[in-house]
Amino acid sequence: MSDKSFVEVRDLKRVFDVSKPWLNRIIERSPRQFLKAVDGVSFDIRKGETFALVGESGSGKSTVARMVVGLLAPSGGEVKIDGISMSSAAAADERQALRRRIQMIFQDPYASLNPRWRVDRIISEPIRAFKVIEGEADIVARVGELLTLVGLHPDDGVKFPHEFSGGQRQRIAIARALASNAEFIVCDEPTSALDVSVQAQILNLMRDLQQKFGLTYLFISHNLAVVRHMATRIGVMYLGRLVEVSEGKELFSAPRHPYTRMLLDAVPDLAMVGRARVGVQGEIPNPISPPSGCTFHPRCPLVFDRCRVEAPVAVNGVACHAVTNATASAAA
Amino acid sequence: MSEPILSVRDLTVEFVTRRGILRALDGISFDIKRGEVLGVVGESGAGKSVTGSAIIGLIDRPGRIAGGQVILGGERIDNLSQDAMRKVRGRRIGMIFQDPLTSLNPLYRVGDQLIETIQTHTDLSASAARDRAIQLLTEVGIPAPERRIDGYPHEFSGGMRQRVVIALALCAEPELIIADEPTTALDVSVQAQIIALIKRLCAERGTAVMLVTHDMGVIAETADRVAVMYAGRIAEIGPVRDVIKNARHPYAKGLMGAIPSLESHAERLVQIPGSMPRLSSIPQGCAFNPRCNAVFDRCRVERPNLIQVEGTGMVSHSVACHLYDKTGVEAAA
Repeated sequence: MSDKSFVEVRDLKRVFDVSKPWLNRIIERSPRQFLKAVDGVSFDIRKGETFALVGESGSGKSTVARMVVGLLAPSGGEVKIDGISMSSAAAADERQALRRRIQMIFQDPYASLNPRWRVDRIISEPIRAFKVIEGEADIVARVGELLTLVGLHPDDGVKFPHEFSGGQRQRIAIARALASNAEFIVCDEPTSALDVSVQAQILNLMRDLQQKFGLTYLFISHNLAVVRHMATRIGVMYLGRLVEVSEGKELFSAPRHPYTRMLLDAVPDLAMVGRARVGVQGEIPNPISPPSGCTFHPRCPLVFDRCRVEAPVAVNGVACHAVTNATASAAA
Repeated sequence: MSEPILSVRDLTVEFVTRRGILRALDGISFDIKRGEVLGVVGESGAGKSVTGSAIIGLIDRPGRIAGGQVILGGERIDNLSQDAMRKVRGRRIGMIFQDPLTSLNPLYRVGDQLIETIQTHTDLSASAARDRAIQLLTEVGIPAPERRIDGYPHEFSGGMRQRVVIALALCAEPELIIADEPTTALDVSVQAQIIALIKRLCAERGTAVMLVTHDMGVIAETADRVAVMYAGRIAEIGPVRDVIKNARHPYAKGLMGAIPSLESHAERLVQIPGSMPRLSSIPQGCAFNPRCNAVFDRCRVERPNLIQVEGTGMVSHSVACHLYDKTGVEAAA
């Protein structure tokens, strides 16, 4: 694993227009409304590591994932993969070549596979699209190899997706992602639609493949325990902002941002038998009109005046005035 | 108070389909006593939700209760008429479903739904019922209930809606609450609030709760006892601490190891090969035998029954696995 970052995300922003239709705006005299789904997110992913994004629903995790793979155009900021910008027109040719190296695995394996295609056609599509292998016999052999790699049988290629269980379908989606010899795979909640025993199979498979091919993962999940198991580094998102980025195990042993602490306290865990927990207060506010200053301040136990006015910037991976102050006074 | 509130004996539910009779529940027996939370876990298709539906008599055709008894407070309720059952439902058994948006009527104000339920089950006047509704909303932790009672469900957030559903379930002070995946649709921080609420209410009122979920973490925190289900049968049942820390059944053991925990340091998760069989092709003998790593000849032929491995009475820990059948071993020896 090199220190050079493979994926660089700088100040990424995405604004959605959630205004009412034009006529309603005129009649009801309501202004246009915008939702800042992602608001200035920056992080780096090193080659061969798993970077995880966690957060509750509506925190912008999936929007970040879609922007990183290029399914959604950013409203601001930049994504660079292996030094090539995904948005500048100058690099259009290089970007085309880069596409082969990026793949995505989606949450719902029932929706992400075309139900009218046979499995071998689904898996061979990226091979044909990127012209990775020429020649029909070689493609067939490669599809069989990929199916074996994800724990299915080469003969399964002639079946349709509906003949498989949820876990097997997710294996097919993984085989498809590997078909173009991808190096960077964005996984958006790959196991949240699966049962726990199947989830364990898929997580183990993803780890084995990472070790075998040196894959880099961007792993999106709301499940902290899964993230802890998979991630090298973790970013915690709250209302479109990255509030804390930390080395995997450290986030759990020494969480710094008050939101991370709250989230960790809230997770029901097997180790929690009969233990009392700290009560969590409040819910995620409406992202259309987020609170002023630090968006977490209405729920924060450490809130003080500055938090209500000024949005904190990340210092050493934590965006919190209270934490920054505490470290500064400790150093003085 | 040794008499259990709910007693289920050999409950069997079958679905008649074109391709034959599918047995969704196969001779389930358990008890829940006053103030106790029984967690029911299992993967999709294990029969968790069917158990809940069977108890409240909401099995839709072509399903039917093919055998066994459901006894609520010493009285059989599985053979009651539709009308009699409707009186039991809501008054003696409260229900909380997974999706709070679909269990509330979007066209009625929250207060009207509460008041209607209260008046159906009690003799309170309209104004007294409204006071009671406000009191219930306060109890489940909804801020400014006097104002919120006139709101529509869409004006509430997911967590608040689930609180309303809990208030609705508590209207008639039921003896038993069946909660089917009450926190699955919610975010973790809200989930924790709802779990704490269910726990507190049940301790205060002595209501028995059957908590159906696929999330072992929720069970670990909420339940007193837990039943692990597999392919329509109970594989293991016992106090929550014993089952989680010291699971006996190979399936339960695998399941606990498969769950990533915040405190374990395992590099790889325990993997149970294969997946749950379809109802149409449940293997002969023990349903788990093709996936089991400790399988032996007897498992392929004979279906194991629950065997007590530890404790007695309500705190006993039982496992349906031939490995723990001492008498069988001695008989063979």
